[in-house]
Order: sequence, then structure tokens, then C-alpha cells
Amino acid sequence: MAHPTQLGFQDAASPVMEELLHFHDHALMIVLLISTLVLYIITAMVSTKLTNKYILDSQEIEIVWTILPAVILVLIALPSLRILYLMDEINDPHLTIKAMGHQWYWSYEYTDYENLGFDSYMIPTQDLTPGQFRLLETDHRMVVPMESPVRVLVSAEDVLHSWAVPSLGVKMDAVPGRLNQTAFIASRPGVFYGQCSEICGANHSFMPIVVEAVPLEHFENWSSLMLEDA
Amino acid sequence: MLHLTAGRVAGLFSRRGVAALSSSSVKMASHGHGGVTEQADMSVPLYWDRLDTPLPDRPYKDTLSAADKSLKQKEKGPWNSLSKEEKLALYRITFNETYAEMKKPTGEWKTVMGGIFFFIGFTGLVVLWQRYYVYPPHPRTLDEEWQAMQVQRMLDMRVSPIEGISAKWDYEKGQWK
Repeated sequence: MAHPTQLGFQDAASPVMEELLHFHDHALMIVLLISTLVLYIITAMVSTKLTNKYILDSQEIEIVWTILPAVILVLIALPSLRILYLMDEINDPHLTIKAMGHQWYWSYEYTDYENLGFDSYMIPTQDLTPGQFRLLETDHRMVVPMESPVRVLVSAEDVLHSWAVPSLGVKMDAVPGRLNQTAFIASRPGVFYGQCSEICGANHSFMPIVVEAVPLEHFENWSSLMLEDA
Repeated sequence: MLHLTAGRVAGLFSRRGVAALSSSSVKMASHGHGGVTEQADMSVPLYWDRLDTPLPDRPYKDTLSAADKSLKQKEKGPWNSLSKEEKLALYRITFNETYAEMKKPTGEWKTVMGGIFFFIGFTGLVVLWQRYYVYPPHPRTLDEEWQAMQVQRMLDMRVSPIEGISAKWDYEKGQWK
């Protein structure tokens, strides 16, 4: 989760998110360079003492400021497309989980081996134990084994929702009547928070997502316990 | 040339703003903008005083008095026979303002900055009133104690341990790095 006043991305918890962070650094640097250049040019033009400002033509600079932006765009496009295709690679998941969006909670179904299903409601502010995160905690977390490719099939039971976990670099719209697939690998154990990312009614801001990545044995223990409780 | 003197957007409700937006030929007589008062006929060569376009399409004085005409005749001869006053008069026939007059500061910036600070101040008052009369009380999670427990919990669960918050905590010494 983000600490208060955090502006930048959260640390990556999956390889794809690491790639996205690096790409963002690259693109932002280009943007900052161009913005600085433009700001400098604006100040130079505003503060000049020269009176003849209306040059009619100049072939050389026109060529430069056509070719250079094209080159810059290619330099942005190549890493971007690389990551796009990376995200779509065949990933042979170890586990498939269905995340279904409802008004206003998520439900998760682990049906590879047994039939495990449960709802995940936000813990209301008045029920939080001291130190818990307001509007982010849920009663049941989506537990996954760490360092394993996990496939998430996202859909919705009523209106549009979106299943998003920023530190895993995952966001997938939950469309009623449609099954969307996304995947991630949690590179480290931890608890990763996200929030519903498609407006879905009054409590759209109050249906968070919590993914807990644990070692495999812990995952197996957890799923046995959950099946007993069900 | 037509100059918009609408000044600040917030002046939309002021006479200045309304007049400037409704008719581009109205000149508010302030900060040196009170000269021209009628619509320019763009189908004939115009005169202008502009720093960036130095040579207007026509001289300032179209119709010359008899004295001006005789001066123009004298201008056709050698120029060092012209006195300083005659040279200045010739300049004033062709041009309205000198460069020094065109570049003269108007002090308009003081009005603009004054308006900006005034409206920022007013907005500040509105914000203070809102905070006191409109906003609900803070949730208990924003208390100092809760925030401290929250940070401790984030450190315990190793939130952002690579470059983020947990990376800045020294777990051995139990303090920030």
C-alpha cells in the first residue's frame, strides 16, 4: 500500500511491475527533458530584446524538429511494445482463481482442486483494530502461493468493476457476461492492496482487494482451513 | 491593433471583464490603453505602434498641414541642414510614439498581481470557512496514535521493502536510517 502523501509508485511485487517502473522512469525522463526545453524556449521568447521575431522559413530547423520527435517517439514505443507483449506471454499458471465483482464486494473462487469460494468485504472503519488501514482492509484476503504464476479470471455479477492491485502491476476490468484473464507472479511474500477501479455505484470506493502472497505450505494450510469453514 | 484587456478571469463579474468580452472595440482607459476608441477599418493600410513590427503600413499623419508639407520638401535636401526640432517634427509626422514611449512600463503588473493575491486571499477565507463549518470530523484513523500504529504495521509487513518505506527503516537498530 502507499504511505500517506506518497506520490510515486509502490515498490514492485511482480516482475511485470518492475518492468513498468523502469519504463515509467524512461518515459518520464523524456517528458521532463522536453518540458524543460519548452519552458526554456518560452522564457527566452518572452524576455528577448530582439524586435524582428517573424522568421519566414528555415529548412534546417524544420527538418530537425520533425525528425527528432519521430526518433523520440520510437524510443518510447519500443520499450512500451516490449512490455505489452511480455504481459501477454504464455505463462502456464500453477493456479487459477476467479475474481467476481459484486456491488459492493469481491468474491474469489478457487476451483482447480476443490470448490473453495468466499466473499471479501471491506472492514468498516468503526470495526478496524488499531493500526489497520482504513478503506483497504478486507475480512478475507485472496491468498496465493508466492513465486508461482497465478491466473486470475475476472468477471462481474452485476455492473462493471475493475480488479486492480498496483504493486503487482495488475488491473483488469470486470465486465458482466465476460471473462477477462490476467496473470501475475508475486516475487516476494507480502500483503498487497488494491481498490475497485471502475465506478460501480454508491460504494465503489469501499470494495478493496487484498492479495496475500505466502509460501506454498502456508497456502495449502490456509486453503484446507477455508474449506473446513465453508 | 486590438488588445484584450480582460486581465484576470475572475474579473468576469466586473465591468472590465464584461465590456472586454462583449465588444473588442471598447478600450478601458487604464494602464495606457485609453487611446483608440473606434473600430479600425482593416481594408485600408493601418498605422500601429508595435515593438515587434517596427514599420507600419502608413505614416502616422495622413493629412499634412502646410508647415508639415514644407518640412517634407526640406527633407528631400541634405539632412544636416535640418535642425534638431525639424528632425523631431519629421519623426512625429511618420510615427506616433518613440521607442522609449512604446517601451514605457505601464504598471499594469501591479493591478494583475494585486488582483491575483486578493482572490487567493479570498479563496483562503472560503477554504477556512469550509473547514470549520462544512467538513465532518476526522476519522479516528487519522489520530497520531493510530497513524504510528499504522506505520509500525506497515514496517512489520515489509510494505515496499526495496526502495520504499520499509527500505528506509533499520530493522536491527529499530530506527529510521
